[in-house]
Amino acid sequence: MRTWPLLLLLLPSVLLAQDDPWEDEVWGDETQRTTWSGFVEAGLGARFDTDPLTGSRNTLEELRLRIESQWHPGDVTVGFKADGTYDGVENSFGGHIRDLTAAFTVGGNTDIRIGRQVQTWGTGDLVFLNDLFPKDFVSFFAGRDDEYLKAPGDAIRVTRFSSAVNIDVVWAPVFEPDVFLTGERFSFFSPLAGGNVAPRPPLSAIKPGKSLSNGEFALRLFRTVEGREYALYAYRGFFKQPNALTPSLESTFAPLTSVGASLRQPLGRGLFNIETSYYLSRDDSNGSNTLVPNDQARLLTGYEWEAKPNFTVGLQYYLEWTLYHDELLGNSPFPQYEPDEFRHLLTNRLTYRVGRDQHTFSLFTFFSPSDRDFYVRPSYTYRHSDQWSLIVGGNLFGGDERHTFFKQLRDASNAYTRVRYNY
Amino acid sequence: MRRKLLLTLITTLTATGALADPLTDADEIVARANLAAYYGGSDGRSEVRMIISDAQGRQQRRQFTVLRRDIEDAGDQQFLVVFSQPSDVRNTVFLVDKHIDRDDDRWLYLPGLDLVKRISAGDKRTSFVGAHYFYEDVSGRRPSEDHHALVETTDGTYVLKHTPIDPQTVEFASYVTWIDRNTFLPMKIEYANAAGKLYRRVEVFEVEEIDGHPTVTTSRVSDLLSGGQTDMQFRYIKYDVGLPKTVFTERSLRNPPADRLRRPEK
Repeated sequence: MRTWPLLLLLLPSVLLAQDDPWEDEVWGDETQRTTWSGFVEAGLGARFDTDPLTGSRNTLEELRLRIESQWHPGDVTVGFKADGTYDGVENSFGGHIRDLTAAFTVGGNTDIRIGRQVQTWGTGDLVFLNDLFPKDFVSFFAGRDDEYLKAPGDAIRVTRFSSAVNIDVVWAPVFEPDVFLTGERFSFFSPLAGGNVAPRPPLSAIKPGKSLSNGEFALRLFRTVEGREYALYAYRGFFKQPNALTPSLESTFAPLTSVGASLRQPLGRGLFNIETSYYLSRDDSNGSNTLVPNDQARLLTGYEWEAKPNFTVGLQYYLEWTLYHDELLGNSPFPQYEPDEFRHLLTNRLTYRVGRDQHTFSLFTFFSPSDRDFYVRPSYTYRHSDQWSLIVGGNLFGGDERHTFFKQLRDASNAYTRVRYNY
Repeated sequence: MRRKLLLTLITTLTATGALADPLTDADEIVARANLAAYYGGSDGRSEVRMIISDAQGRQQRRQFTVLRRDIEDAGDQQFLVVFSQPSDVRNTVFLVDKHIDRDDDRWLYLPGLDLVKRISAGDKRTSFVGAHYFYEDVSGRRPSEDHHALVETTDGTYVLKHTPIDPQTVEFASYVTWIDRNTFLPMKIEYANAAGKLYRRVEVFEVEEIDGHPTVTTSRVSDLLSGGQTDMQFRYIKYDVGLPKTVFTERSLRNPPADRLRRPEK
């Protein structure tokens, strides 16, 4: 009882101290109404060295306006995300729709999403095996937000949920390749030239004809049991990079069928994942066709854990096994530039968050002991407020031999900064 | 607001007089408090908003809806958290499968990348979306992870001290809770570090009875070292809304269940 008088004495100050900080602000009901939001962002990225083959010293010189909206006519959710950009490197204005979708549910257990959309599946961290949705490596290397690594594509996605197994089917009527290196922003290695090139006009690749049979079809069967996430995957379409040549030696996309599987589960204090896939190159089933990539078997395994409070470590090992490798070398005009039979890749992600995520330090490293090359991505993100944020980062490439994947980008090594205002 | 607090205090004071004989078993008090704080009804929904303030008084906001389903009382639970504010986290969704016999399973959906990110088990006493709240505060800490001792029983409150069974997994050396003897809601929690210094405080300012369950509607977490704090308000709370288990799956990460998130009519 002795404490009560003291408490009563404190009462006025307690009341004062926790006076409603919202000051009777109304509670918005965002789930029902139409929302408009987005951001304005300015970005600048510059090479450490010039690339004699490309004109601009900068890899990023950009103003970006994002507009996002969501509205709910009836039982349908309509989503919209688009960017308007001024790109100083390519000296152009552009409009890019990232999302324009109608999503609805049929018969209770089936979700359908139709339209332009960004899609992701699989267990890898910046390493993709069964995720054959389009990616934009140019944005990734140039210093744009990580979000832009995933490029949008026009597709119909049907997901059916049931207690036995969930089924995801994605159909893209028109093949959507990755955004690949064309020589416009970054030069790339050409076996023909024996060195890097930056062709003018930039490299273009012959896309498969727009017939129904040339669409992309992706399938995922997935289920979570006792915290273990199992998935099986299949894909029929084309390699997403133009790594084949037509008989008249123009770059093109070889037909691809792939199957795969993955598992992700807790292990000890962390998370373990394993994923595998087999890439069947339909036009070169025995490795004899020089113009078309060979079959590949891919394997990824990873472990991520919180090593210290707010400090997370992720490790991955990735293997690319090129089949019929002897035939590949035997038939190749440039055996010295062909991939190793076994390409090993190690990745490491370190994330350190300070001050309730206000400051995030991140370091992602790719290192291939077989190609003897690397790609390092340090970054620091400062979230000043709900509106303002700043990121400073870099993309550093290097290696021993000029034809390997990361080494070819050595002159693209850059540092960048971006300032964003969310509205 | 002031009147409400006063009423709450008066209710608490009057109720104190009618209390039964106090409990003496710390584990039993903790078990009852765990039920009162996290297991009201067989499921529930609430809208939550936070103001995160740093020592300089700069503020950030968060707003989200929480759906909860109990698999069994004091046992496994599921949580779905859907963000609506601020704009850069809108449509971010957090899913928790809380387990009693093993670590919780947790996923975060990042709409920009269409990425279902899984969160490792160790990563739970870290900031929840920039707030002074921890991930673990959303779904609750398992009582079996700490030793509990009853320190004091006053007219209205049980005071308990808790020490972690595995100190390696947490940032605190001990914490003390003030549990209301009437409602069994923890009204204040103070965390001390290895040096014995208080560094974190959770306070409940308002409790309302909703659908027969005394429910926290205003609370605050303070960082006593840096001076920042997160204020939290809960509204549009409803218990026993009949949430099926299918709401708490990967499906809801990509496609949050609009009909289940709809605000209840009073």
